[in-house]
Amino acid sequence: MVRRRGLVINDRQMQLVDDILDKLRQVSGSRFIALVSTSGQPITTSSVEAHPDTLSLASLAASSFAATQQLAEVLHEREFTLLFHEGRESNLHVAQVTDQVLLVITFGRETQVGKVRLYTNRAVEVLRPVFDSNDGDDQTNLMIDDDYSLLADEAIDDLFADME
Amino acid sequence: MPLINFAAREINYKIVYYGCGLCGKTTNIQYIHKKVNPNARGKLVSIATEEERTLYFDFLPLTLGTVKGMKTRFHLYTVPGQSYYNASRRLVLQGVDGIVMVADSQITRLDENVESYLNLWDNLLDQGDDLTRLSFVIQLNKRDLTDIFSAEDLKELLNHTNSPVTEACALTGQGVFETLKTVCKQVIAKTGQAS
Ligand SMILES: Nc1nc2c(ncn2[C@@H]2O[C@H](COP(=O)(O)OP(=O)(O)OP(=O)(O)O)[C@@H](O)[C@H]2O)c(=O)[nH]1
Ligand SMILES: [Mg+2]
Repeated sequence: MVRRRGLVINDRQMQLVDDILDKLRQVSGSRFIALVSTSGQPITTSSVEAHPDTLSLASLAASSFAATQQLAEVLHEREFTLLFHEGRESNLHVAQVTDQVLLVITFGRETQVGKVRLYTNRAVEVLRPVFDSNDGDDQTNLMIDDDYSLLADEAIDDLFADME
Repeated sequence: MPLINFAAREINYKIVYYGCGLCGKTTNIQYIHKKVNPNARGKLVSIATEEERTLYFDFLPLTLGTVKGMKTRFHLYTVPGQSYYNASRRLVLQGVDGIVMVADSQITRLDENVESYLNLWDNLLDQGDDLTRLSFVIQLNKRDLTDIFSAEDLKELLNHTNSPVTEACALTGQGVFETLKTVCKQVIAKTGQAS
């Protein structure tokens, strides 16, 4: 297996992603869309109402998707590319964008499954190239330096001061 | 490497509590959830069986605050320790930055500790990771009980990586924050090195 790479997202990518998600939300009538990492961390969201708890959401959506992929393996299915949860008022879908990125999207019950597939597939197609090139590494070196390490170390001391 | 989102000015690290069934992983997370500043933590999510054994994971996000303009978070996870849940353990390990190996100090749990430690190596190697390149802390838990191994014996058994070792009683919280602090600091130090 390949060595795990870190995921770095820069301003340019985020701008592109936010535009795509907003557009997707408008054409699809979805109320909530999120992009999360396969390791369970939120990247960005686009929603009509107040955000749900995105940290829990990212963690649960990613693990639920990962479990589904394992199920596919157990059943000798090549892969389940889409995870589908049917609710009373809305349906939730999780689709794979890249090996490190997932798309989470809710639809109203009135939206037909065929349409949902169409919208998500299109979105995945335009989202994928955004993550293909990664020019974020220069920025990493610039920001995550000794100075950052030192300050983070102090912040850890502060957070856990007076514990036990 | 962690998830770094420059656009949102966020950096997220993933820390996983590993170890055999009933060694006290969930108890660690529950204690942290109970005691840490409420403003610094999110919701505790636990996927467990009726009998409160972890079925998939516990998840607790902690916010360190803004460091050099970057909102810094630690995402804490536990794995299910029972040996037949290995498929789930492998999923939780994806994208991990730091690991706390919780050892059950009881003499009767010797085999389970060793099995879990070897299983951790296997799972990491399978996903292309290596314990020596990640942050790794060993917690000797249940020090309050009698019929336990000495810390020296457990170190010889589990610490081939020469990693930091803490002693704890997760039930009362003793050593829980010391462990967490140690792994968090290591994770930060390793990111610095990587760049
Ligand atoms: N005496 C004592 N008991 C402990 C300690 N830590 C945990 N326990 C107890 O051990 C039992 C199992 O603890 P958990 O935290 O649920 O164990 P776990 O590692 O999450 O187990 P799995 O979810 O099955 O992997 C519980 O009854 C705890 O109260 C400790 O330091 N001392
Ligand atoms: Mg547990």
